[in-house]
Amino acid sequence: MAKRQSGVAGIWSDDEKILEAAAKMRDAGYKKFDAITPFPVHGMEEAVGIKRSGIPYVTFVAGVTGCCLGLYMQYWMSAVSWPINVGGKPMFSIPAFIPVTFEITILFAALFSVGAMFFLNGLPKVDPPIIDPDLTSHKFALWVPDDEVGYSVEKVEAFLKELGAEEVKRMAEY
Amino acid sequence: MGHSVTVDKVEPKKFELPSNGKVILFAMMGVGLATLLAGFAIDQKRVWHAYLTNYFFFSSLAVGGLFFTAIQHATNAGWSVNIRRVSESMTAFLPVVFIGGLVLLASGSQLYMWLDHDVVANDAILKGKSAYLNLGFWAVRMVLFVGLWLFFAKKIVGHSLAQDQDGDEKWTHKMVPLSIAFLLVFALSYSLFSVDLLMSLDAHWFSTIFGVYCFAGLFQSTLAFMILMTLYCRGKGWVTGLMTTEHTHDLAKFLKGFTVFWAYIAFSQFMLIWYANLPEETIFYLHRSHGGWMEVSMALLVFKFVVPFVALMPRWAKRTPKHLIMVCLLILVMQFVDLYWLVYPNYSHEHATFPLMGVGIFIGFLGLFLFTVTGFLAKHNLVPVRDPRIHESLSHHVTY
Repeated sequence: MAKRQSGVAGIWSDDEKILEAAAKMRDAGYKKFDAITPFPVHGMEEAVGIKRSGIPYVTFVAGVTGCCLGLYMQYWMSAVSWPINVGGKPMFSIPAFIPVTFEITILFAALFSVGAMFFLNGLPKVDPPIIDPDLTSHKFALWVPDDEVGYSVEKVEAFLKELGAEEVKRMAEY
Repeated sequence: MGHSVTVDKVEPKKFELPSNGKVILFAMMGVGLATLLAGFAIDQKRVWHAYLTNYFFFSSLAVGGLFFTAIQHATNAGWSVNIRRVSESMTAFLPVVFIGGLVLLASGSQLYMWLDHDVVANDAILKGKSAYLNLGFWAVRMVLFVGLWLFFAKKIVGHSLAQDQDGDEKWTHKMVPLSIAFLLVFALSYSLFSVDLLMSLDAHWFSTIFGVYCFAGLFQSTLAFMILMTLYCRGKGWVTGLMTTEHTHDLAKFLKGFTVFWAYIAFSQFMLIWYANLPEETIFYLHRSHGGWMEVSMALLVFKFVVPFVALMPRWAKRTPKHLIMVCLLILVMQFVDLYWLVYPNYSHEHATFPLMGVGIFIGFLGLFLFTVTGFLAKHNLVPVRDPRIHESLSHHVTY
Protein backbone atom coordinates (compact mmCIF):
# COMPACT_ATOMS: atom_id res chain seq x y z
CA MET A 1 0.00 0.00 0.00
CA ALA A 2 1.26 3.39 -0.94
CA LYS A 3 2.52 5.63 1.80
CA ARG A 4 0.42 8.64 2.76
CA GLN A 5 2.10 11.98 2.18
CA SER A 6 1.36 15.56 3.02
CA GLY A 7 1.40 18.14 0.26
CA VAL A 8 -0.24 21.00 -1.56
CA ALA A 9 -2.93 20.87 -4.25
CA GLY A 10 -3.82 23.60 -6.73
CA ILE A 11 -7.26 23.42 -8.31
CA TRP A 12 -8.39 24.60 -11.75
CA SER A 13 -11.74 24.32 -13.50
CA ASP A 14 -10.41 24.37 -17.08
CA ASP A 15 -8.47 21.50 -18.67
CA GLU A 16 -6.67 23.84 -21.08
CA LYS A 17 -5.33 25.93 -18.22
CA ILE A 18 -4.18 23.05 -16.08
CA LEU A 19 -2.36 21.61 -19.08
CA GLU A 20 -0.45 24.89 -19.45
CA ALA A 21 0.19 25.09 -15.71
CA ALA A 22 1.47 21.51 -15.61
CA ALA A 23 3.91 22.20 -18.44
CA LYS A 24 5.19 25.31 -16.64
CA MET A 25 5.56 23.38 -13.42
CA ARG A 26 7.58 20.70 -15.23
CA ASP A 27 9.78 23.36 -16.81
CA ALA A 28 10.32 24.96 -13.39
CA GLY A 29 12.02 21.73 -12.30
CA TYR A 30 9.24 19.98 -10.39
CA LYS A 31 9.60 16.20 -10.69
CA LYS A 32 7.19 14.33 -8.45
CA PHE A 33 3.98 16.26 -8.87
CA ASP A 34 0.89 14.68 -10.38
CA ALA A 35 -2.29 15.77 -12.11
CA ILE A 36 -5.69 14.60 -10.89
CA THR A 37 -8.40 14.91 -13.52
CA PRO A 38 -11.91 13.51 -13.92
CA PHE A 39 -11.16 12.30 -17.47
CA PRO A 40 -8.04 11.72 -19.56
CA VAL A 41 -6.61 15.05 -20.71
CA HIS A 42 -4.69 14.65 -23.95
CA GLY A 43 -1.08 15.70 -23.72
CA MET A 44 -1.05 15.51 -19.91
CA GLU A 45 1.66 12.82 -19.81
CA GLU A 46 4.07 15.10 -21.63
CA ALA A 47 2.98 18.16 -19.64
CA VAL A 48 3.58 16.48 -16.29
CA GLY A 49 6.75 14.90 -17.64
CA ILE A 50 5.69 11.31 -16.97
CA LYS A 51 8.04 8.86 -18.63
CA ARG A 52 6.72 5.85 -20.53
CA SER A 53 5.66 3.12 -18.16
CA GLY A 54 7.60 -0.11 -17.89
CA ILE A 55 4.48 -2.25 -18.23
CA PRO A 56 5.08 -3.21 -21.90
CA TYR A 57 8.35 -4.89 -20.94
CA VAL A 58 6.64 -6.81 -18.14
CA THR A 59 3.95 -7.88 -20.62
CA PHE A 60 6.55 -9.06 -23.12
CA VAL A 61 8.62 -11.07 -20.66
CA ALA A 62 5.50 -12.57 -19.07
CA GLY A 63 4.15 -13.47 -22.50
CA VAL A 64 7.32 -15.23 -23.58
CA THR A 65 7.48 -17.06 -20.25
CA GLY A 66 3.84 -18.13 -20.57
CA CYS A 67 4.45 -19.32 -24.10
CA CYS A 68 7.39 -21.54 -23.07
CA LEU A 69 5.69 -22.84 -19.94
CA GLY A 70 2.45 -23.61 -21.79
CA LEU A 71 4.25 -25.57 -24.47
CA TYR A 72 6.41 -27.40 -21.94
CA MET A 73 3.39 -28.27 -19.79
CA GLN A 74 1.66 -29.95 -22.72
CA TYR A 75 4.84 -31.69 -23.83
CA TRP A 76 5.31 -33.12 -20.34
CA MET A 77 1.67 -34.18 -19.96
CA SER A 78 1.17 -35.69 -23.42
CA ALA A 79 4.58 -37.11 -24.22
CA VAL A 80 6.31 -37.80 -20.90
CA SER A 81 4.01 -38.30 -17.94
CA TRP A 82 1.02 -40.01 -19.62
CA PRO A 83 1.51 -40.56 -23.35
CA ILE A 84 -1.75 -41.10 -25.25
CA ASN A 85 -1.87 -41.96 -28.91
CA VAL A 86 -4.34 -39.57 -30.59
CA GLY A 87 -5.19 -40.51 -34.16
CA GLY A 88 -1.73 -41.95 -34.75
CA LYS A 89 -0.15 -38.52 -34.53
CA PRO A 90 3.21 -38.03 -32.80
CA MET A 91 3.04 -37.68 -29.01
CA PHE A 92 4.53 -34.22 -29.26
CA SER A 93 2.44 -32.64 -32.04
CA ILE A 94 3.04 -28.91 -32.04
CA PRO A 95 -0.06 -27.89 -34.09
CA ALA A 96 -2.34 -29.49 -31.51
CA PHE A 97 -0.61 -27.60 -28.70
CA ILE A 98 -0.66 -24.13 -30.25
CA PRO A 99 -4.15 -23.06 -29.04
CA VAL A 100 -3.37 -23.83 -25.39
CA THR A 101 0.09 -22.29 -25.71
CA PHE A 102 -1.52 -19.17 -27.14
CA GLU A 103 -4.06 -18.96 -24.32
CA ILE A 104 -1.43 -19.37 -21.61
CA THR A 105 0.71 -16.72 -23.29
CA ILE A 106 -2.22 -14.32 -23.15
CA LEU A 107 -3.13 -15.31 -19.58
CA PHE A 108 0.41 -14.69 -18.30
CA ALA A 109 0.80 -11.45 -20.25
CA ALA A 110 -2.56 -10.10 -19.07
CA LEU A 111 -2.26 -11.05 -15.39
CA PHE A 112 1.30 -9.78 -15.06
CA SER A 113 0.40 -6.53 -16.86
CA VAL A 114 -2.43 -5.85 -14.45
CA GLY A 115 -0.21 -6.82 -11.51
CA ALA A 116 2.57 -4.52 -12.73
CA MET A 117 0.06 -1.72 -13.24
CA PHE A 118 -1.10 -2.05 -9.62
CA PHE A 119 2.48 -2.13 -8.37
CA LEU A 120 3.70 0.85 -10.40
CA ASN A 121 0.65 2.95 -9.51
CA GLY A 122 1.03 2.23 -5.81
CA LEU A 123 -2.37 0.56 -5.70
CA PRO A 124 -4.40 -0.38 -3.81
CA LYS A 125 -4.61 2.97 -2.09
CA VAL A 126 -7.65 2.59 0.09
CA ASP A 127 -9.80 5.58 0.94
CA PRO A 128 -7.41 8.54 0.67
CA PRO A 129 -8.71 11.82 2.12
CA ILE A 130 -10.65 13.81 -0.43
CA ILE A 131 -8.90 16.88 -1.87
CA ASP A 132 -12.06 18.14 -3.52
CA PRO A 133 -15.13 16.07 -4.44
CA ASP A 134 -15.43 17.97 -7.74
CA LEU A 135 -12.21 16.36 -8.99
CA THR A 136 -14.34 13.45 -10.11
CA SER A 137 -16.67 15.59 -12.18
CA HIS A 138 -15.47 18.96 -13.45
CA LYS A 139 -12.37 20.21 -11.66
CA PHE A 140 -8.67 19.51 -12.16
CA ALA A 141 -5.84 19.49 -9.65
CA LEU A 142 -2.07 19.55 -9.60
CA TRP A 143 -0.81 17.68 -6.56
CA VAL A 144 2.65 18.37 -5.14
CA PRO A 145 3.71 15.83 -2.47
CA ASP A 146 6.13 16.65 0.32
CA ASP A 147 9.02 14.67 -1.15
CA GLU A 148 9.15 17.00 -4.15
CA VAL A 149 12.58 18.40 -5.00
CA GLY A 150 13.19 21.52 -2.87
CA TYR A 151 9.75 21.28 -1.28
CA SER A 152 8.43 23.91 1.06
CA VAL A 153 4.74 24.55 1.63
CA GLU A 154 4.97 28.32 1.19
CA LYS A 155 7.04 28.14 -1.97
CA VAL A 156 4.74 25.62 -3.64
CA GLU A 157 1.63 27.55 -2.61
CA ALA A 158 3.03 30.74 -4.06
CA PHE A 159 4.03 29.00 -7.27
CA LEU A 160 0.60 27.39 -7.72
CA LYS A 161 -1.07 30.78 -7.26
CA GLU A 162 1.32 32.32 -9.73
CA LEU A 163 0.30 29.61 -12.23
CA GLY A 164 -3.29 30.72 -11.83
CA ALA A 165 -4.74 28.08 -9.54
CA GLU A 166 -8.26 29.06 -8.53
CA GLU A 167 -7.84 27.47 -5.14
CA VAL A 168 -4.80 26.18 -3.24
CA LYS A 169 -5.23 23.57 -0.52
CA ARG A 170 -2.83 22.18 2.06
CA MET A 171 -3.35 18.52 2.76
CA ALA A 172 -2.01 16.82 5.89
CA GLU A 173 -2.10 13.50 4.11
CA TYR A 174 -3.19 12.12 0.75
CA MET B 1 -9.54 17.67 -26.57
CA GLY B 2 -6.99 19.96 -25.15
CA HIS B 3 -5.99 21.72 -28.33
CA SER B 4 -8.04 24.12 -30.32
CA VAL B 5 -7.45 24.14 -34.05
CA THR B 6 -8.66 26.62 -36.58
CA VAL B 7 -10.02 24.51 -39.38
CA ASP B 8 -9.72 27.07 -42.18
CA LYS B 9 -5.94 26.66 -42.08
CA VAL B 10 -6.12 23.21 -43.67
CA GLU B 11 -4.34 23.50 -46.99
CA PRO B 12 -2.55 20.38 -48.17
CA LYS B 13 -0.14 20.89 -51.03
CA LYS B 14 -0.81 19.29 -54.39
CA PHE B 15 0.17 15.70 -55.08
CA GLU B 16 2.69 15.60 -57.90
CA LEU B 17 4.46 12.70 -59.53
CA PRO B 18 8.17 13.27 -60.11
CA SER B 19 8.78 14.64 -63.64
CA ASN B 20 9.71 11.22 -65.06
CA GLY B 21 7.05 9.43 -62.97
CA LYS B 22 4.55 8.95 -65.74
CA VAL B 23 7.21 7.64 -68.10
CA ILE B 24 8.29 5.07 -65.52
CA LEU B 25 4.70 3.99 -64.86
CA PHE B 26 4.03 3.59 -68.58
CA ALA B 27 7.27 1.65 -68.96
CA MET B 28 6.11 -0.66 -66.14
CA MET B 29 2.79 -1.17 -67.88
CA GLY B 30 4.72 -1.92 -71.06
CA VAL B 31 6.75 -4.60 -69.27
CA GLY B 32 3.53 -6.15 -67.98
CA LEU B 33 1.85 -6.14 -71.37
CA ALA B 34 4.95 -7.56 -73.06
CA THR B 35 5.12 -10.37 -70.49
CA LEU B 36 1.45 -11.09 -70.99
CA LEU B 37 1.75 -11.29 -74.78
CA ALA B 38 4.99 -13.26 -74.69
CA GLY B 39 3.39 -15.54 -72.11
CA PHE B 40 0.48 -16.34 -74.38
CA ALA B 41 2.92 -17.35 -77.08
CA ILE B 42 5.01 -19.53 -74.74
CA ASP B 43 2.73 -21.20 -72.22
CA GLN B 44 -0.92 -20.21 -71.93
CA LYS B 45 -1.65 -22.22 -68.82
CA ARG B 46 1.25 -20.65 -67.02
CA VAL B 47 0.49 -17.08 -68.02
CA TRP B 48 -3.12 -17.41 -66.86
CA HIS B 49 -1.91 -18.50 -63.42
CA ALA B 50 0.42 -15.50 -63.34
CA TYR B 51 -2.41 -13.20 -64.40
CA LEU B 52 -4.80 -14.56 -61.77
CA THR B 53 -2.23 -14.12 -58.98
CA ASN B 54 -1.71 -10.48 -59.85
CA TYR B 55 -5.33 -9.74 -60.63
CA PHE B 56 -6.33 -10.99 -57.20
CA PHE B 57 -3.49 -9.10 -55.50
CA PHE B 58 -4.47 -5.74 -56.95
CA SER B 59 -8.25 -6.14 -56.88
CA SER B 60 -7.86 -6.92 -53.17
CA LEU B 61 -5.94 -3.67 -52.69
CA ALA B 62 -8.58 -1.69 -54.58
CA VAL B 63 -11.57 -3.06 -52.69
CA GLY B 64 -9.48 -3.02 -49.49
CA GLY B 65 -9.18 0.74 -49.79
CA LEU B 66 -12.96 0.99 -49.97
CA PHE B 67 -13.29 -1.37 -47.01
CA PHE B 68 -11.00 0.81 -44.88
CA THR B 69 -12.94 3.93 -45.88
CA ALA B 70 -16.24 2.25 -45.05
CA ILE B 71 -15.22 1.19 -41.54
CA GLN B 72 -14.18 4.75 -40.77
CA HIS B 73 -17.63 6.06 -41.75
CA ALA B 74 -19.53 3.21 -40.12
CA THR B 75 -17.75 3.82 -36.82
CA ASN B 76 -17.88 7.63 -37.03
CA ALA B 77 -14.10 7.66 -36.73
CA GLY B 78 -12.47 11.05 -36.33
CA TRP B 79 -8.78 10.19 -36.10
CA SER B 80 -8.56 8.86 -39.65
CA VAL B 81 -10.08 11.80 -41.52
CA ASN B 82 -6.70 13.14 -42.67
CA ILE B 83 -5.56 9.82 -44.13
CA ARG B 84 -8.91 8.86 -45.64
CA ARG B 85 -8.05 10.25 -49.06
CA VAL B 86 -5.26 7.69 -49.28
CA SER B 87 -7.65 4.78 -48.83
CA GLU B 88 -10.18 6.44 -51.14
CA SER B 89 -7.53 6.79 -53.83
CA MET B 90 -7.07 3.01 -53.98
CA THR B 91 -10.64 2.63 -55.24
CA ALA B 92 -9.61 4.48 -58.41
CA PHE B 93 -8.32 1.08 -59.58
CA LEU B 94 -11.79 -0.53 -59.39
CA PRO B 95 -12.70 0.13 -63.06
CA VAL B 96 -9.59 -1.84 -64.02
CA VAL B 97 -10.72 -4.62 -61.65
CA PHE B 98 -13.96 -4.74 -63.62
CA ILE B 99 -12.24 -5.03 -67.01
CA GLY B 100 -9.61 -7.39 -65.65
CA GLY B 101 -12.37 -9.61 -64.32
CA LEU B 102 -14.00 -9.80 -67.72
CA VAL B 103 -10.60 -10.76 -69.16
CA LEU B 104 -10.32 -13.51 -66.58
CA LEU B 105 -13.62 -14.98 -67.76
CA ALA B 106 -11.83 -15.86 -71.00
CA SER B 107 -9.31 -18.09 -69.23
CA GLY B 108 -11.47 -21.14 -69.82
CA SER B 109 -10.21 -24.49 -68.66
CA GLN B 110 -6.60 -23.25 -68.60
CA LEU B 111 -7.26 -22.24 -65.01
CA TYR B 112 -10.46 -23.91 -63.88
CA MET B 113 -11.10 -27.58 -64.49
CA TRP B 114 -14.81 -27.04 -63.92
CA LEU B 115 -14.95 -25.04 -67.14
CA ASP B 116 -13.91 -28.13 -69.12
CA HIS B 117 -17.10 -29.96 -70.19
CA ASP B 118 -15.38 -33.31 -70.68
CA VAL B 119 -13.84 -33.24 -67.23
CA VAL B 120 -17.12 -32.27 -65.58
CA ALA B 121 -19.06 -34.98 -67.45
CA ASN B 122 -16.77 -37.67 -66.03
CA ASP B 123 -16.53 -36.29 -62.50
CA ALA B 124 -19.38 -36.87 -60.04
CA ILE B 125 -18.16 -34.18 -57.62
CA LEU B 126 -17.82 -31.49 -60.28
CA LYS B 127 -21.17 -32.48 -61.72
CA GLY B 128 -22.70 -31.98 -58.30
CA LYS B 129 -21.15 -28.51 -58.05
CA SER B 130 -22.00 -27.48 -61.61
CA ALA B 131 -25.11 -25.56 -60.55
CA TYR B 132 -22.77 -23.02 -58.97
CA LEU B 133 -19.52 -23.57 -60.83
CA ASN B 134 -20.40 -22.84 -64.45
CA LEU B 135 -19.33 -20.11 -66.83
CA GLY B 136 -22.67 -18.31 -67.02
CA PHE B 137 -23.27 -18.00 -63.29
CA TRP B 138 -19.62 -17.17 -62.67
CA ALA B 139 -19.82 -14.32 -65.19
CA VAL B 140 -22.98 -13.02 -63.50
CA ARG B 141 -21.27 -13.13 -60.09
CA MET B 142 -18.15 -11.42 -61.37
CA VAL B 143 -20.11 -8.58 -62.94
CA LEU B 144 -22.39 -8.30 -59.91
CA PHE B 145 -19.64 -8.25 -57.29
CA VAL B 146 -17.28 -5.83 -58.99
CA GLY B 147 -20.29 -3.81 -60.17
CA LEU B 148 -21.47 -3.46 -56.57
CA TRP B 149 -18.00 -2.42 -55.41
CA LEU B 150 -17.88 0.18 -58.17
CA PHE B 151 -21.32 1.45 -57.21
CA PHE B 152 -20.45 1.84 -53.54
CA ALA B 153 -17.07 3.40 -54.36
CA LYS B 154 -18.76 5.93 -56.61
CA LYS B 155 -21.24 6.80 -53.86
CA ILE B 156 -18.99 6.78 -50.79
CA VAL B 157 -15.91 8.38 -52.36
CA GLY B 158 -18.12 10.67 -54.42
CA HIS B 159 -19.84 12.01 -51.30
CA SER B 160 -16.48 12.65 -49.70
CA LEU B 161 -15.31 14.59 -52.75
CA ALA B 162 -18.58 16.51 -52.92
CA GLN B 163 -18.03 17.57 -49.31
CA ASP B 164 -14.65 19.02 -50.32
CA GLN B 165 -16.58 21.41 -52.57
CA ASP B 166 -19.50 22.53 -50.39
CA GLY B 167 -18.47 21.50 -46.87
CA ASP B 168 -22.00 20.31 -46.17
CA GLU B 169 -22.45 18.09 -43.12
CA LYS B 170 -25.21 16.07 -44.81
CA TRP B 171 -22.61 14.09 -46.78
CA THR B 172 -21.11 12.76 -43.54
CA HIS B 173 -24.51 11.52 -42.42
CA LYS B 174 -25.27 10.00 -45.81
CA MET B 175 -22.03 8.03 -45.86
CA VAL B 176 -22.87 6.08 -42.69
CA PRO B 177 -25.76 3.89 -43.96
CA LEU B 178 -23.98 3.52 -47.31
CA SER B 179 -20.87 2.26 -45.57
CA ILE B 180 -22.77 -0.17 -43.38
CA ALA B 181 -24.54 -1.52 -46.45
CA PHE B 182 -21.22 -1.85 -48.23
CA LEU B 183 -19.63 -3.73 -45.33
CA LEU B 184 -22.41 -6.33 -45.48
CA VAL B 185 -22.14 -6.60 -49.25
CA PHE B 186 -18.35 -6.78 -49.01
CA ALA B 187 -18.36 -9.63 -46.48
CA LEU B 188 -20.46 -11.80 -48.77
CA SER B 189 -19.16 -10.73 -52.16
CA TYR B 190 -15.46 -10.83 -51.33
CA SER B 191 -15.81 -14.29 -49.74
CA LEU B 192 -17.50 -15.65 -52.84
CA PHE B 193 -15.08 -13.72 -55.07
CA SER B 194 -12.17 -15.54 -53.43
CA VAL B 195 -14.02 -18.86 -53.59
CA ASP B 196 -14.67 -18.36 -57.31
CA LEU B 197 -11.21 -17.19 -58.23
CA LEU B 198 -8.88 -19.08 -55.91
CA MET B 199 -10.59 -21.91 -54.07
CA SER B 200 -12.23 -23.33 -57.19
CA LEU B 201 -8.80 -23.76 -58.80
CA ASP B 202 -8.96 -27.13 -57.10
CA ALA B 203 -12.71 -27.57 -57.30
CA HIS B 204 -12.67 -30.83 -55.33
CA TRP B 205 -11.25 -29.13 -52.29
CA PHE B 206 -13.12 -26.85 -49.93
CA SER B 207 -12.49 -24.84 -46.80
CA THR B 208 -15.20 -22.83 -45.09
CA ILE B 209 -12.71 -20.33 -43.69
CA PHE B 210 -11.18 -19.59 -47.09
CA GLY B 211 -12.91 -16.25 -47.62
CA VAL B 212 -11.75 -14.98 -44.24
CA TYR B 213 -8.22 -16.12 -45.03
CA CYS B 214 -8.24 -14.05 -48.21
CA PHE B 215 -9.77 -11.12 -46.35
CA ALA B 216 -6.96 -11.24 -43.77
CA GLY B 217 -4.41 -10.93 -46.57
CA LEU B 218 -6.45 -8.16 -48.16
CA PHE B 219 -6.53 -6.01 -45.06
CA GLN B 220 -2.91 -6.64 -44.14
CA SER B 221 -1.70 -5.59 -47.59
CA THR B 222 -4.14 -2.66 -47.78
CA LEU B 223 -2.79 -1.22 -44.54
CA ALA B 224 0.81 -1.77 -45.66
CA PHE B 225 0.14 0.09 -48.90
CA MET B 226 -1.66 2.91 -47.07
CA ILE B 227 1.29 3.37 -44.71
CA LEU B 228 3.70 3.53 -47.64
CA MET B 229 1.54 6.10 -49.44
CA THR B 230 1.10 8.17 -46.29
CA LEU B 231 4.85 8.15 -45.66
CA TYR B 232 5.49 9.15 -49.28
CA CYS B 233 3.19 12.16 -49.00
CA ARG B 234 4.71 13.09 -45.64
CA GLY B 235 8.24 12.72 -46.97
CA LYS B 236 7.45 15.09 -49.82
CA GLY B 237 6.21 17.66 -47.33
CA TRP B 238 2.77 17.94 -48.94
CA VAL B 239 0.83 17.24 -45.77
CA THR B 240 2.93 18.72 -42.97
CA GLY B 241 0.85 18.95 -39.82
CA LEU B 242 -2.02 17.09 -41.53
CA MET B 243 -0.75 13.51 -41.79
CA THR B 244 1.58 13.08 -38.87
CA THR B 245 3.57 10.45 -36.99
CA GLU B 246 0.44 9.93 -34.89
CA HIS B 247 -1.62 8.79 -37.89
CA THR B 248 1.16 6.53 -39.15
CA HIS B 249 1.54 5.10 -35.65
CA ASP B 250 -2.13 4.13 -35.50
CA LEU B 251 -2.05 2.66 -38.99
CA ALA B 252 0.97 0.61 -37.95
CA LYS B 253 -0.89 -0.62 -34.86
CA PHE B 254 -3.73 -1.62 -37.16
CA LEU B 255 -1.21 -3.40 -39.40
CA LYS B 256 0.27 -5.31 -36.48
CA GLY B 257 -3.18 -6.36 -35.30
CA PHE B 258 -4.10 -7.72 -38.71
CA THR B 259 -0.74 -9.43 -39.06
CA VAL B 260 -1.75 -11.44 -36.01
CA PHE B 261 -5.24 -11.86 -37.46
CA TRP B 262 -3.80 -13.35 -40.66
CA ALA B 263 -1.72 -15.85 -38.67
CA TYR B 264 -4.73 -16.69 -36.52
CA ILE B 265 -6.93 -17.45 -39.53
CA ALA B 266 -4.18 -19.26 -41.43
CA PHE B 267 -3.51 -21.46 -38.43
CA SER B 268 -7.22 -22.07 -37.81
CA GLN B 269 -7.57 -23.35 -41.35
CA PHE B 270 -4.46 -25.50 -41.09
CA MET B 271 -5.07 -26.99 -37.65
CA LEU B 272 -8.60 -28.20 -38.27
CA ILE B 273 -7.62 -29.86 -41.54
CA TRP B 274 -4.49 -31.37 -39.98
CA TYR B 275 -6.40 -32.67 -36.96
CA ALA B 276 -9.36 -34.17 -38.82
CA ASN B 277 -6.99 -35.69 -41.37
CA LEU B 278 -9.62 -36.25 -44.09
CA PRO B 279 -7.97 -36.99 -47.46
CA GLU B 280 -10.31 -34.70 -49.40
CA GLU B 281 -9.17 -31.77 -47.22
CA THR B 282 -5.52 -32.61 -46.53
CA ILE B 283 -4.75 -32.67 -50.26
CA PHE B 284 -4.44 -28.88 -50.11
CA TYR B 285 -1.62 -28.99 -47.58
CA LEU B 286 -0.13 -32.13 -49.10
CA HIS B 287 0.42 -30.24 -52.35
CA ARG B 288 2.02 -27.44 -50.39
CA SER B 289 4.45 -29.55 -48.37
CA HIS B 290 6.49 -31.26 -51.10
CA GLY B 291 8.83 -30.34 -53.91
CA GLY B 292 9.92 -26.95 -52.64
CA TRP B 293 6.45 -25.89 -51.55
CA MET B 294 7.23 -26.69 -47.91
CA GLU B 295 9.87 -23.96 -47.98
CA VAL B 296 7.32 -21.50 -49.35
CA SER B 297 4.81 -22.50 -46.66
CA MET B 298 7.43 -21.97 -43.95
CA ALA B 299 8.48 -18.65 -45.49
CA LEU B 300 4.86 -17.51 -45.15
CA LEU B 301 4.82 -18.38 -41.45
CA VAL B 302 8.12 -16.64 -40.78
CA PHE B 303 7.95 -13.58 -43.04
CA LYS B 304 4.24 -12.89 -43.15
CA PHE B 305 3.76 -13.32 -39.41
CA VAL B 306 6.79 -13.78 -37.13
CA VAL B 307 9.11 -11.13 -38.58
CA PRO B 308 6.50 -8.36 -39.05
CA PHE B 309 5.00 -9.18 -35.65
CA VAL B 310 8.30 -8.73 -33.84
CA ALA B 311 9.36 -5.82 -36.06
CA LEU B 312 6.16 -3.89 -35.30
CA MET B 313 6.20 -4.55 -31.56
CA PRO B 314 8.19 -1.62 -30.11
CA ARG B 315 6.70 1.85 -30.07
CA TRP B 316 9.64 3.40 -31.91
CA ALA B 317 9.20 0.88 -34.74
CA LYS B 318 5.77 2.28 -35.50
CA ARG B 319 7.05 5.85 -35.47
CA THR B 320 10.20 5.43 -37.56
CA PRO B 321 9.46 5.86 -41.29
CA LYS B 322 12.54 3.98 -42.55
CA HIS B 323 11.79 0.96 -40.41
CA LEU B 324 8.09 1.00 -41.33
CA ILE B 325 8.87 1.16 -45.04
CA MET B 326 10.93 -2.03 -44.77
CA VAL B 327 8.19 -3.86 -42.85
CA CYS B 328 5.43 -2.72 -45.22
CA LEU B 329 7.42 -3.74 -48.29
CA LEU B 330 8.06 -7.13 -46.70
CA ILE B 331 4.35 -7.58 -46.04
CA LEU B 332 3.40 -6.63 -49.60
CA VAL B 333 5.96 -9.04 -51.01
CA MET B 334 4.68 -11.77 -48.71
CA GLN B 335 1.10 -11.07 -49.78
CA PHE B 336 2.27 -11.80 -53.34
CA VAL B 337 4.00 -14.97 -52.11
CA ASP B 338 0.80 -15.94 -50.29
CA LEU B 339 -1.23 -15.70 -53.49
CA TYR B 340 1.53 -17.50 -55.39
CA TRP B 341 1.26 -20.22 -52.75
CA LEU B 342 -2.51 -20.39 -53.25
CA VAL B 343 -2.46 -20.37 -57.06
CA TYR B 344 0.70 -22.01 -58.38
CA PRO B 345 0.49 -25.47 -56.77
CA ASN B 346 -2.50 -25.91 -59.07
CA TYR B 347 -0.17 -25.26 -61.98
CA SER B 348 2.47 -27.64 -60.68
CA HIS B 349 2.56 -29.19 -57.26
CA GLU B 350 5.49 -31.41 -58.26
CA HIS B 351 7.92 -28.57 -57.73
CA ALA B 352 7.73 -24.89 -56.94
CA THR B 353 8.74 -22.81 -59.93
CA PHE B 354 9.84 -19.21 -59.77
CA PRO B 355 6.91 -17.17 -61.14
CA LEU B 356 8.93 -15.23 -63.72
CA MET B 357 5.81 -14.33 -65.72
CA GLY B 358 4.07 -13.53 -62.45
CA VAL B 359 6.73 -10.96 -61.62
CA GLY B 360 6.59 -9.45 -65.12
CA ILE B 361 2.83 -9.09 -64.97
CA PHE B 362 3.14 -7.79 -61.40
CA ILE B 363 5.28 -4.91 -62.66
CA GLY B 364 2.62 -4.12 -65.24
CA PHE B 365 -0.23 -4.26 -62.76
CA LEU B 366 1.76 -2.17 -60.26
CA GLY B 367 2.33 0.48 -62.92
CA LEU B 368 -1.37 0.57 -63.76
CA PHE B 369 -2.37 0.58 -60.08
CA LEU B 370 -0.02 3.44 -59.18
CA PHE B 371 -1.12 5.30 -62.32
CA THR B 372 -4.79 5.26 -61.26
CA VAL B 373 -4.06 5.91 -57.58
CA THR B 374 -1.68 8.81 -58.13
CA GLY B 375 -4.00 10.17 -60.81
CA PHE B 376 -6.77 10.30 -58.20
CA LEU B 377 -4.54 11.93 -55.60
CA ALA B 378 -3.27 14.53 -58.04
CA LYS B 379 -6.82 15.45 -59.06
CA HIS B 380 -8.23 15.95 -55.57
CA ASN B 381 -7.19 17.42 -52.22
CA LEU B 382 -4.79 15.15 -50.34
CA VAL B 383 -6.92 15.59 -47.23
CA PRO B 384 -10.73 15.90 -46.95
CA VAL B 385 -10.34 19.55 -46.09
CA ARG B 386 -13.94 20.29 -45.15
CA ASP B 387 -14.87 17.16 -43.24
CA PRO B 388 -16.70 18.22 -40.06
CA ARG B 389 -14.56 15.87 -37.94
CA ILE B 390 -11.23 17.14 -39.22
CA HIS B 391 -10.35 18.88 -35.96
CA GLU B 392 -10.28 15.47 -34.26
CA SER B 393 -7.79 14.22 -36.80
CA LEU B 394 -5.68 17.39 -36.68
CA SER B 395 -5.19 17.07 -32.93
CA HIS B 396 -4.90 13.29 -33.04
CA HIS B 397 -2.44 12.12 -30.47
CA VAL B 398 -1.33 8.61 -29.51
CA THR B 399 -0.86 8.33 -25.78
CA TYR B 400 1.98 6.14 -24.61
